[in-house]
Amino acid sequence: MWSGTQRQLLDLILDELIPPGSDGRVPGAGAAGVADFFPSAARYAPDPVGAITTVLAAVAANSPDFASLDRAGRVAVLKEAESEEPDSFATLVRLTYMGYYSRPDIRPLFGVGAHAVHPEGYPVENGEAERLAELTEPVRARGAIHRD
Amino acid sequence: MATGAGETGKDPVDVLIVGAGASGAAIAWSLLETRMRILCLEQGKHISDRDFPSRREDYELARYGDFSCDPNVRMLKQDYPINSTESCITPVNWNGVGGSTINFLAHWPRMRPSDFRTRTLDGVAEDWPVDYAALEPFYEMNDRNVGVSGLGGNPAYPPYRPELPPIPIGRLGWKLAQGFNRLGWHWWPSDVAILSRDHEGRQKCVNAGTCDLGCAAGAKGGANFTYWAVLERARMELRTECRVREVLIDPNTGFATGVLYHGPDGQLQEQRAEIVILACNGVGTPRLLLNSKSKQFPDGLANRSGMVGRNLMFHPLTGVSGVFDEPMKGHEGPMACSILSQEFYETDTNRDFVRGYGLHAGRSTTPMTYALGGYGIDRPIPWGEDHREIMDNVYPFVAGLTVVTEDLPEEHNCVSLDPNLTDGDGIPAPKITYRLSENTRRMLRHGEERAKEVLLAAGAKKVLCSDDGNVWWRAGWHQMGTCRMGNDPRASVVNGWGRCHDVKNLFIVDGSIFVTAGAVNPTSTIQALALHIGDNIKNNIANLFD
Ligand SMILES: Cc1cc2nc3c(=O)[nH]c(=O)nc-3n(C[C@H](O)[C@H](O)[C@H](O)COP(=O)(O)OP(=O)(O)OC[C@H]3O[C@@H](n4cnc5c(N)ncnc54)[C@H](O)[C@@H]3O)c2cc1C
Ligand code: SF4
Repeated sequence: MWSGTQRQLLDLILDELIPPGSDGRVPGAGAAGVADFFPSAARYAPDPVGAITTVLAAVAANSPDFASLDRAGRVAVLKEAESEEPDSFATLVRLTYMGYYSRPDIRPLFGVGAHAVHPEGYPVENGEAERLAELTEPVRARGAIHRD
Repeated sequence: MATGAGETGKDPVDVLIVGAGASGAAIAWSLLETRMRILCLEQGKHISDRDFPSRREDYELARYGDFSCDPNVRMLKQDYPINSTESCITPVNWNGVGGSTINFLAHWPRMRPSDFRTRTLDGVAEDWPVDYAALEPFYEMNDRNVGVSGLGGNPAYPPYRPELPPIPIGRLGWKLAQGFNRLGWHWWPSDVAILSRDHEGRQKCVNAGTCDLGCAAGAKGGANFTYWAVLERARMELRTECRVREVLIDPNTGFATGVLYHGPDGQLQEQRAEIVILACNGVGTPRLLLNSKSKQFPDGLANRSGMVGRNLMFHPLTGVSGVFDEPMKGHEGPMACSILSQEFYETDTNRDFVRGYGLHAGRSTTPMTYALGGYGIDRPIPWGEDHREIMDNVYPFVAGLTVVTEDLPEEHNCVSLDPNLTDGDGIPAPKITYRLSENTRRMLRHGEERAKEVLLAAGAKKVLCSDDGNVWWRAGWHQMGTCRMGNDPRASVVNGWGRCHDVKNLFIVDGSIFVTAGAVNPTSTIQALALHIGDNIKNNIANLFD
């Protein structure tokens, strides 16, 4: 699908689209392996590989040595590619978010369970009848607000 | 009793219902006791709760593929495409047994008494031929059948009490409620068609937060879990993968004689019936009528008024979020339902618009959906360092309010037949022509400002609002008004109990018969109306066609 050089470039780009957290806890999209998601993403975009290859070509044309640039330099090159190939770039961004956040190991980093949400779901306290009565009291006290 | 391929089905039935969604299921249940032979034709299939994507680890992806609420994204065999290029909102749905209640979010407010009398009270739209008091017993009956959780004593309504206690309003609900209280504004825990405790053999909600992906717990009161469970036990006949193409009429009597439909193999078949009931929702029903042309009805069946397809109403909406200083855990708990404020629901002559809106506090959502712009929106958040900042420091701390406005009927907002686009059986697809009125725009602006005030009063550190005047695109959840009720046959399609003025044995029971939209989710009213219509059919059975 992609040559070794293209794959390296793709991972670098992905790490700019979703960069790693500064404390090293949250990986960037490249390090998380999001590139592996794209070949199976045809359900979510008409031609994912084509769109991504277009972005890779635009980046390579604008910056033959993307890897040697600092972060600000990489972002500038990506912005240029975005303005030259807006549709393909938008597809890459969208699929990157999908590939990244669909990973069960990523969700807990944002406070969301790794598990499939059924059958377990989440425990949420429901011992709230008294508290609810207290909180709704001022609303009741103001009386009916419907017109008949 | 669901049957599939191979049925010839020429034997006439007493009652033929088209559409196995919320309204079709409710009226079938109502008519069950008559012992008439009832048949339901549904273009989609059964989906088992085992197949709901929330059982998969990558469940969020389903929202953008096979389980999207948008038929133009899903493009499954049972779906029909919808041309929405001339609309700022696209209709969303589910086609299958249970209809759109498969992926609906089960927020369950009733319409309010004034909603049925907007002409008398506010000089706009039309009064309904039925009112809240007439529907009240059917709201009750439906709530019992569906299983509704909520808190009695809501001062926004005449008295009633949901059977089950409210679901947890969640951390964000508590926060926002305090904001409303500080401002002295109305709010109330949402009524929901979701079980807060185990009830009649069904399991309580497990707070999974993905109600749009089906409800694998069976806690959500979708028609698949409620009415269809009863109908199947009663062995009522349901034929799936049968798409109705046209309603047939007798040229001499002007009565409906049955329908032409495509079976699972695509072959065209005829089914005869004494009574035909349409329950295809606010887009599917006018589409079917407009496609049923004859010498007697050259502009579509039951369309002498010219109102079939007109007056399409959605609930245009927009959202405002607040960023708080503690995690809101907004992905835990039923997606759309926490608390609802109806402070700005009724007309106030001091405002620059008529009628009003609700401020809905749903939950927030899962990380992927947030990154892609939110549920019902297709506008991904920025990439790069801004992305990091938003996902780390905004997403977990967000609580939002949605401004859900009443949409007034306007004839130019309509469903018509697309001249080129068709579904898999070659039936013309619906085309939506829809724009926001100035009244709605003013309401949205007003609502956004009030929502900001609440969020700040609740302690938000920062308020996020797009302020670009756009409404959510994939938010045509509620489709109403396109075959409206009325006493005047020149200005309406059906009478006060759903019978077409022009075809006396043809009934419509879905949201297309709404005269106005209110500013609340419609399904409890759709089903109450279906039960009301069923009751009228039963009471008038001796002289039903007079
Ligand atoms: C994502 C989402 C969220 C929602 N959330 C809420 C909510 O929180 N609260 C609320 O009140 N409402 C909500 N709704 C709306 C609610 O689902 C609908 O109001 C309700 O289902 C409408 O009932 P209905 O019977 O009119 O149509 P549906 O339930 O849509 O059923 C229509 C059925 O007719 C079938 N059909 C159509 N045409 C044909 C044909 N030609 N031949 C055979 N079969 C046909 C369809 O396949 C479908 O199964 C939501 C909807 C969606 C999509
Ligand atoms: S949150 Fe509750 S109602 Fe919604 S899908 Fe999960 S269990 Fe069902």
